[in-house]
Amino acid sequence: MADTAISIGGGRRPRRVLRPALWWLVVPAVLFLLLFFLIPVASLFAISFDKTASGVITFQGDFTLDNFQRIFSRALYFEAIGRSVGIGAVVTVICLIIGYPLAFVIARTLRPGAATLLTILVLSALQLDMVIRLYGMMVLMGDNGIINTVLMGVGAIDRPLPLMYNIFGVIVGLVQVTLPFMILSLIGAIKSINPSLEEAARSLGSTRWHVMRTITWPLSLPGVYAGTLLVFALAISSYVVPALMGGWKVITLPIHIYQQIAEVGRWQFGAAIASILFVTAMMAMALYILALRRNAGGRV
Amino acid sequence: MHDVNPIPMTFKLVSAVALVILLVPVLVVVMAGLNSGDFLTFPPEGVSLRWVISFFRSKIFLPAFGVSFGLALLTTLISTVLGTMTAIFLTRSKSRVKELLRGIIVLPVVLPGVVLGLALYIFYVWTGVGLARSFWGLLIGHVLVTLPFIVATITASLVDFDLSVEEAARSLGATPWQAFRKVTLPIIAPGVSAGTIFAFIISFGQFELTLFLSTPDIQTLPIAIYTSLRYAFEPTAAAAGIFAIALVITSTLVASRLVNIKNLLNRR
Repeated sequence: MADTAISIGGGRRPRRVLRPALWWLVVPAVLFLLLFFLIPVASLFAISFDKTASGVITFQGDFTLDNFQRIFSRALYFEAIGRSVGIGAVVTVICLIIGYPLAFVIARTLRPGAATLLTILVLSALQLDMVIRLYGMMVLMGDNGIINTVLMGVGAIDRPLPLMYNIFGVIVGLVQVTLPFMILSLIGAIKSINPSLEEAARSLGSTRWHVMRTITWPLSLPGVYAGTLLVFALAISSYVVPALMGGWKVITLPIHIYQQIAEVGRWQFGAAIASILFVTAMMAMALYILALRRNAGGRV
Repeated sequence: MHDVNPIPMTFKLVSAVALVILLVPVLVVVMAGLNSGDFLTFPPEGVSLRWVISFFRSKIFLPAFGVSFGLALLTTLISTVLGTMTAIFLTRSKSRVKELLRGIIVLPVVLPGVVLGLALYIFYVWTGVGLARSFWGLLIGHVLVTLPFIVATITASLVDFDLSVEEAARSLGATPWQAFRKVTLPIIAPGVSAGTIFAFIISFGQFELTLFLSTPDIQTLPIAIYTSLRYAFEPTAAAAGIFAIALVITSTLVASRLVNIKNLLNRR
């Protein structure tokens, strides 16, 4: 390959001539990420080890672990970590259970038109502004919302069901918001399974569920891991869903961060909670890579 | 065609549930925006353009829509240029640094939006060059979160690109820039356009990152709707939502014409 290029190009260093140096292409992006991503994140970590002083943002250089000790010594804060992780886990499982079938239908339907239409619907749902979708959720699930008024109208219930401003509302809201990510991660994985594997097993007498359990599900695991990681990371880091659907009654880590900063002005303490949220999200990532190596046998 | 392994009925039923969860809230927003009453009841009272007109007269939602639109346009422009350059480097370079770079580019997506917004805000205050609570500070944040999507989409279309076509142009005397503009760019254009559309939509609907960076006088649409939702279900917000929904659906349709969505979802 390279030799033919040389004979055509005929220059002294033909490879260079035909394929010019590339490094300069990446300089702007690297500078941008260094200046506006790596340094800010480092500043956030730095300030979280600084002494808490209300209303002070500037770096005082007063190294202390007080902020972190406070988080782990007060139930208010470490319970929020548990709550965030717990909600994230429940949301991830629900998304997997209701997302897998839809991803399977999109990947396996024999009508290409239907597959494209469904994919566009999922993509549109994914891309639509979260706050707008939550508006719809709140109109549906409020005490005077559509679900409750219809149920009371037909006499099924006497008092409105508490669908919102509690942990249930937060979970439903998060499922609505993160479900498209799960589905899109799964479609690719299920599609890459050769259908003749399933068909062979079926023609040899396997039941549908046996095929699903022993062939389709194990082979789609890379997509399952990708989707669960993404959904978990998104669910624990969401501010807007617990704020609106939980009505500030379900206090998760992002809510704490915002309260510490916007209401109390304790930047250092807020930054410490943010660092913990960051590390939790990163740990999910690390676990995911570990699980991937062990179970998927490096197929991703 | 006889299907040896048809889709199980349970799967179809659960799929229907998933679609209801995904789409009903969107339908509700459209209904609330076109409803004639003050509250959305079921069944709706009637159809009117009352709230749409109120949106066009609104001193909050219409300017917010404009800010979001302009911000998304600028974000997309910068992100596309940076992202195209990066994607070319990532697909062609043999350097070992590129895996590290690929990891760093994806990080802003994994990083919680609230955390990234806070980190940027602290950094802006420390440097004191006036980026804190400014349009430009917001723009930088939006470029950060859209860049990974642009790089992913363009990388996907560059992987299929046959480099010998560009080399042929070069050997016939084209400068690197000419070869890129006349040969490479037209071939990868669908991928680039799809990437720009995704970036636009992501920036337009960005909430979490914007929370710490927005100012009272430059409100984006998600922030304006969020603020109104804290107090009441303002039907004008739903009417603004209808325009956002139309924008997203149109752009997704255009993007799906440009690139084969199925290819984008397939694993490489």
